[in-house]
Amino acid sequence: MSNAYLTYAAKRLGQAVVVILLAYVFTFVVVSILPGDPITSVLRNPQNGFSEEEIAEIIAAQGLDKPIAVQLWNSLSGFLTGDLGVSMRSGRPVSTLIAEVLPSTLILASTGLAVAIILAMAVAYGTQFVPKRYGQGLLRGFPSLFLSVPNFVIGLVLIHVFGFQIGLFRVINPDSFWATLFAAIALGIPVSAQIAEVLIANLDREAEQEYAAVARSRGIGRARLFATHLLKPASLPVVTVVALTIGELLGGSLITETVFGRTGIGSLVQRSVSTQDLPVLQAVVSLGAVVFVIVNLIADLLYPLLDPRVKILGGKKRTPTTADEVSINTTKAVAS
Amino acid sequence: MSFVTTSVISGSRSRAWLSAFRVPPTVAISFLVVAIVIAWSLAPGLFTQYSPVVGIPADKLLGPNLNHWFGTDHLGRDVYARVVYGTASSVSSALVAVVIGVVAGGLVGLLAGFFGGWLDIVLARLVDVLLAIPKFLLAVIVVTAIGFETINAAIATGVSAVAIFARVTRAEVIKTRQATFVEAAFLSGGSRSFILWRHILPNASRSVLPLAVLQFGESILVIASLAFLGYGDPPPASDWGLLISIGKDYLKWPWLVYAPAFITILTVLSVNRISRWLRKTD
Repeated sequence: MSNAYLTYAAKRLGQAVVVILLAYVFTFVVVSILPGDPITSVLRNPQNGFSEEEIAEIIAAQGLDKPIAVQLWNSLSGFLTGDLGVSMRSGRPVSTLIAEVLPSTLILASTGLAVAIILAMAVAYGTQFVPKRYGQGLLRGFPSLFLSVPNFVIGLVLIHVFGFQIGLFRVINPDSFWATLFAAIALGIPVSAQIAEVLIANLDREAEQEYAAVARSRGIGRARLFATHLLKPASLPVVTVVALTIGELLGGSLITETVFGRTGIGSLVQRSVSTQDLPVLQAVVSLGAVVFVIVNLIADLLYPLLDPRVKILGGKKRTPTTADEVSINTTKAVAS
Repeated sequence: MSFVTTSVISGSRSRAWLSAFRVPPTVAISFLVVAIVIAWSLAPGLFTQYSPVVGIPADKLLGPNLNHWFGTDHLGRDVYARVVYGTASSVSSALVAVVIGVVAGGLVGLLAGFFGGWLDIVLARLVDVLLAIPKFLLAVIVVTAIGFETINAAIATGVSAVAIFARVTRAEVIKTRQATFVEAAFLSGGSRSFILWRHILPNASRSVLPLAVLQFGESILVIASLAFLGYGDPPPASDWGLLISIGKDYLKWPWLVYAPAFITILTVLSVNRISRWLRKTD
């Protein structure tokens, strides 16, 4: 642990805190201010069917009669002390609502991530071993194909083929092993395309390096060259890419849960959107931002420790693989 | 002598110009697909005689056949006609999303990259905030805030794309700013706004174009996802995502899902192929 690393870590930590706070404020502005007056647009909406007394009660409980700056301050200080507020719709604490559905989404998202990483590795490493004549092009086409498929379509195809035709699982029992696995596959495939894209680009770049040419000239086999020389440097930057896909997993689970009829964070968001339950939306979106920021912070802090080539000078990373630039590179890699 | 040299230069130039138009076959097919999709959205009536809204109940749930290329749905409506008529809002809304992303993101990136200093720091943090909120969740809350309509779904998608355009534009602007010819322009007395418009903007926008095309494909997907969840125009609109969403309740008749899904995938795949080609030829 060098001094430079600690300075860098402290700086990144500070940035992360600022971003989380600003993300909360931004979400508050979008959720509470944009729809105009939440009292009339939500509570008096005949669809929600509140009586006048109930409306008065909710206004008092939520503090909706106070100026917007005071509301923001109360909401933000509550958030910082772990109080996520109370659902407008059911009157129950938002944290309880989230805690109820979180395990299901965590199972789905982590299985989906595992599927994504395994698939991406299989595809990317396959491009190094499958000869051009036997479908290397097919493997190379995998990322761009699956970045063009909406993930609800993947889910529906899986349900149609494996649920209806083969009968491996039943849609009315969404928490069974097979149903969860296929939901995770539907969620994981688009994510794996992103990871595979970066992995393939890295492997190709490493294979062209001088050290690889030297190794080849020494008569090293394809498999050994891959295992002892290319694998590690090509795979390390993927840590930051995986961290960036966390947002994709969260957003994708919203759709996947709808398609597979699962209860989870996604279905909670959907329900809150249709009933305009603003405190729940505020909490879920800002927690999503918290998760994303923390995961990326960990990836950024871990990366210089994993990859000794990365130098930290004066608290600044001098490497082409900071999370910032990877995000640009992944977008560009799709285009290149 | 000088005449010969110029003619040689202009000759090689025109050859380079010609070779730039020699496109690989997959790219040609992609352009064809995009052209058909644009034609569908401009004049849907030319491509089908059926109505997308009124069906013939006696012909309900027919499989794909010569009269109904994509079959018919539960109300006897021709699915091909529904897809063709749904193109306009599916594709033009993606265009709206890209324009919002490019203009707003580009402006932020341009200002941050060109002026630097505290403005850059403030804008960079704002972009970080936009990036930190998962993109699809951001689109969902924005569309919730402004109302469930396809055009609002497009705006929401555009907002969620602002950050990435801001980042890429900023990086390009900084790269261009350090170029020798920009330094020369400053030294020869060019004003800031002149250099910004005349030198920085054209050079930075060159690499934004493939990204914008790519984002167009992604916007089609995001808007389809929002329509799938019911956050776009309600039926009888026939946005591609909505068609798939309706079809999912009739999985026994899978063409109701597969036909609009096939068109969506084909369109996005073509757009992505064009984007990749643009990037390579640049």
